Amino acid sequence: MRALLAFATIVAALAVTAHARQSDELVIGITQYPSTLHPNIDSMLAKTYVLAMVQRPFTVHDEDWTLQCLLCVSLPSLENGGAKLESLADGRRGVAVTYEIQPDARWGDGQPVSTRDVVFTWRIGRHPKSGVAAQELYRRILDIQVHGEKSFTLHQDRVTFDYAALGGFRLVPEHLERQPFERDPGQYRQRTLYEVNPTEPGLYFGPYRITETVRGSHVVLERNPTWYGKEPYFRRIVVRAIENTAALEANLLSGEIDYVAGELGLSLDQALAFDKRHGDRFRVVYKPGLVYEHIDLNLANPVLSDLRVRAALAHAIDRRAISEQLFAGKQPVAHSSVNPLDWIYDDSVPKLQYDPDKAEQLLRDAGWTKSPSGLLQGEDGQPLTIEFMTTAGNRSRELVQQVLQSQWRALGVDVRVRNEPARVFFGQTLTQRRFSGLAMYAWISAPESVPRTVLHSNEIPNSDNGWSGQNYMGYRNPEMDELLDAIELELDRDRRRLLWSRLQALYARDLPVIPLYFRANAYVTPKWLRGIVPTGHLDPSSLWVERWYRND
Amino acid sequence: MIVPTKAGKSIAMGVRRNRPAAIAALILVALAVACFAAPLISHLFGIDGGTVNLLARLEAPSFQHPLGTDELGRDLLIRLLEGGRVSLLTGAAGSCAAAFIGIILGIVSGYAGGRTDAALMRVTDGVIALPLLPLLIVLAAVDMTKVGLPEQFTTSESASLYRIILIIALFGWTTVARLVRAGALAVREREFVLAARALGSGPLRIMFRHVLPNVISPVIVATTLTAGNVILLESVLSFLGLGVQPPLASWGNMLSNAQELMWSAPALAMYPGTLIFLTVLAFNFLGDGLQQALDPRRRRIL
Amino acid sequence: MIDVRVRLTQFDSPMARLILARLLQAVAVLLIMSFAVYGLIGLMPGDPIDLMISADPGLTPADAARLKALYGLDQPLFQRWLHWLLSVASGDLGYSRLYAKPVSEVLGPAFFNTLMLLGSSFLLSMFVALPLGIWAAMRPNSPRDYLINLTAFAGISIPPFWLALMLIAVFAVLLGWLPAGGVGIGSDNGLGAVRYFVLPVATLTFASLGAHTRFMRGAMLEVLGEDYIRTARAKGVGPFRVVVYHALRNAMIPVVTILALEFGTLFSGALVTETVFAWPGMGRLIFDSIMGNDFNLALVALMLATAMTLVGSLLADLIYTWLDPRIRYE
Repeated sequence: MRALLAFATIVAALAVTAHARQSDELVIGITQYPSTLHPNIDSMLAKTYVLAMVQRPFTVHDEDWTLQCLLCVSLPSLENGGAKLESLADGRRGVAVTYEIQPDARWGDGQPVSTRDVVFTWRIGRHPKSGVAAQELYRRILDIQVHGEKSFTLHQDRVTFDYAALGGFRLVPEHLERQPFERDPGQYRQRTLYEVNPTEPGLYFGPYRITETVRGSHVVLERNPTWYGKEPYFRRIVVRAIENTAALEANLLSGEIDYVAGELGLSLDQALAFDKRHGDRFRVVYKPGLVYEHIDLNLANPVLSDLRVRAALAHAIDRRAISEQLFAGKQPVAHSSVNPLDWIYDDSVPKLQYDPDKAEQLLRDAGWTKSPSGLLQGEDGQPLTIEFMTTAGNRSRELVQQVLQSQWRALGVDVRVRNEPARVFFGQTLTQRRFSGLAMYAWISAPESVPRTVLHSNEIPNSDNGWSGQNYMGYRNPEMDELLDAIELELDRDRRRLLWSRLQALYARDLPVIPLYFRANAYVTPKWLRGIVPTGHLDPSSLWVERWYRND
Repeated sequence: MIVPTKAGKSIAMGVRRNRPAAIAALILVALAVACFAAPLISHLFGIDGGTVNLLARLEAPSFQHPLGTDELGRDLLIRLLEGGRVSLLTGAAGSCAAAFIGIILGIVSGYAGGRTDAALMRVTDGVIALPLLPLLIVLAAVDMTKVGLPEQFTTSESASLYRIILIIALFGWTTVARLVRAGALAVREREFVLAARALGSGPLRIMFRHVLPNVISPVIVATTLTAGNVILLESVLSFLGLGVQPPLASWGNMLSNAQELMWSAPALAMYPGTLIFLTVLAFNFLGDGLQQALDPRRRRIL
Repeated sequence: MIDVRVRLTQFDSPMARLILARLLQAVAVLLIMSFAVYGLIGLMPGDPIDLMISADPGLTPADAARLKALYGLDQPLFQRWLHWLLSVASGDLGYSRLYAKPVSEVLGPAFFNTLMLLGSSFLLSMFVALPLGIWAAMRPNSPRDYLINLTAFAGISIPPFWLALMLIAVFAVLLGWLPAGGVGIGSDNGLGAVRYFVLPVATLTFASLGAHTRFMRGAMLEVLGEDYIRTARAKGVGPFRVVVYHALRNAMIPVVTILALEFGTLFSGALVTETVFAWPGMGRLIFDSIMGNDFNLALVALMLATAMTLVGSLLADLIYTWLDPRIRYE
């Protein structure tokens, strides 16, 4: 009893000392801790989110999904003369694009952000041993021409419609990083200051800089005195990583964190329930975006290679009801990989409707008949059994999966669920196309991103190409290949829109994939926090962190 | 075969005398009967636990759904009973499989003695030293077809269930093995064993007819306690996303799926949580009671 | 001088041989274990580069091949293990692939965090459980004993993440007394940082309290049944004196042994509690490194955990021998 009393006293004492947070401090909760902080070595959502507050990419897509300059002064284009077509030595067509770096941009230690950093970053990006995972971007740049400290011209080896986009090119400070890189490029990924001393002010030039990191727990950001833009409202921002979403919600309710970022936050149905109970204290903003939930069909499976079966599967599921009932209509039903909010979306392309009778008819046409047990079977009596996989432990997906399974079963299709941990599912089953039937997961992309790696027949993973490419369905259609090539190279917006329409129509006709819906992120903010504008794509809302403010 | 009968009688008597253990046994039997009668109950009430009804999500208890419905509109009572069947089955099968391996290794080790004994005990020490949870995680993610299990096992919807039972069997046998070995060492020089050997019984026969019945009591106790722990372990694995996989229900995955909705639909978490708690508690009390009944001198196996 | 030598020779006999034998055995277990874990992680589908490819659509086949060579993944498993073993033997634990830092630098803070968390709950649990167990054993089958037993079993039987969430719900959300998770940031110090300890420590303590109470109660009951205690009682020694002066020492032998054994397992971390409370400890680290296919980190962390368990069991044996004069290793 006495021990209990003592315990209670201690608890009370600790409760009293509760740390009163100052009003110019903001604590953000996300579900993932960035494993590295180097801007270019690998890509991870948590890292992108945190780095967006301490660095700026040259270009981004804004909340209206149009391309904008952040670190550059104005967007170069063929029309304004910032970009010029040129012919390359081998006769192909290239493009020279000139950017102007923000004149006042300085690293946290006072050094100007300059063309030296641009050239240095390009060197790291192309070096085979630097550890930079995706080098395509850097290899496409044939040469960089420097005009003084703040202006440079990139010579690219091809002309694509998004020639002006330079979002993936994230600068690293030459004056700090040259030494570790030049000493041993092979060791650079471990010797870089972003790993060795991530609180070095000179690594950052955004509105904030990182002043404390505790791995697996939190990152502390404070205002960067050398920031050239609008002075941010919050003096200090703490980003806490809490992986368990139930605990994340509890932290929000207990006031330990102020705001749960939608990019890496609560699941949608959790947020909906939260909204219902705590709508008086918090504002929940739902932003459907470019996270495309869908089901890949393995076209090497003889059953699924029959278009009638694929169409039947698609007609048999009530995607609208799922979206309405499970997600309160916040997640729009997808009709192809193109989001209705994207300017290339074509509303006239025929949409898949819920039509179980048609589904039954299609299956009958394909030779599947009801057996006495109510399950469908083929002519030689083999049952219509399809395996359905997704990532284990993702609750939303598992719920949707069970609904889909029951709707297909109602039709007589014996759908068997077999889920794997994400690590296994993405690490092998998908990439090596070891799923025999259906695989449900999501793509996240930028606006108007060309689904080349997903739909082009050259992108089917196999042992010869080292299992790269994302065409896990094994979809081959020369018409699609042509369209993908043509879209990339078409600079004229109107002509490109026509090509996109054809692509969407072809996608809906061939059904290599069953589209489900576009996932919505839920941004759970306290009523006093203003200025956060969700983007709904890969560029996180934290890129505009200086616009956030408090208004009680 | 006098010994087991005696043991059986003393179990029944001892448990009856120990009120908490008797209650625990009653609870477990009642739960097991209810869970395994789930198909019957669902047939009687005309509800199918697997039927998804998006228009009847999270409904309050009603005549049609005595405990209401879950987040997909399925009847919660039937789900709980079906989940209980899986959980109890995992507990029983896992602990029995572990006990089986433990008995074999323990008896061989204790009866054979010498180098076999030394080697087997070193293996046991090694397995005990392994950090369990991390290994479970590795094993839960390992591709079972690579280990040579038939395709049928790995692609069925119950694959996750078999996997958990297998993992428990692989790591949970050490306690039983040590208990059995100690018992076997003690009985192997006793008169009746020596007599049996003199009469020409083979070692196998001696081990299983004469040694085993005499060391079985602590094994029963340990297995009872393990069964409870296995149910708990399954819930932890579910929490990590590595437990029994949907559409199969288990109390563990129902509980960990309910945590996100714990504020808006607390019932979804309360029921499976309470059932796990109650079942594991009952297994512990039963094990404790059995221990007192079977082996009053040894009180600390736990 | 002579005195010392005498003691050394004494030490040299059975006890020293025992320690040596156990240490050799531990090394063997660690070696086998390292290969087994290496193999097991190898059995897990998908290597690190496959994971990278799936995370980043921009990776080309050339990128994949280049990265595989860079991380040494193009070599057979056994060779990689041997390579790893040799460099570990030479003192180089290597780099964590996930965190791009030396393994020791990643492990250090996690190890410290886990030690703080589990150490304090271990101490607290003993502090509460041992008196409780003794108190229960002094009057077996009384209401008091039943209540303590019930509490003990409850601690053992509750799903740990459920308990953790309940505690958060009550103490952090409803009452608002304590933080719901995380660790203090740099500017929190003293009590401010301690606040973050309370709920995770309480969770772990309640979970281990049960087992500790039961051990103590069982051991005490057994000793209290011995003849010499009965003799003492017959001589009119009071119940309190009997326990403290006569029974405690003997009853502590098995308890201390078990505690020493358990001490070793503290270093594997408490994955569930760490996850719910966002506590950056060993449990999480091991989990993440396995899931992220970070061979170096996972191996070293697991080896460390295993080694500590082995040390714990050696410690248990030594304490046992030391406390119980009847046992001698020959």
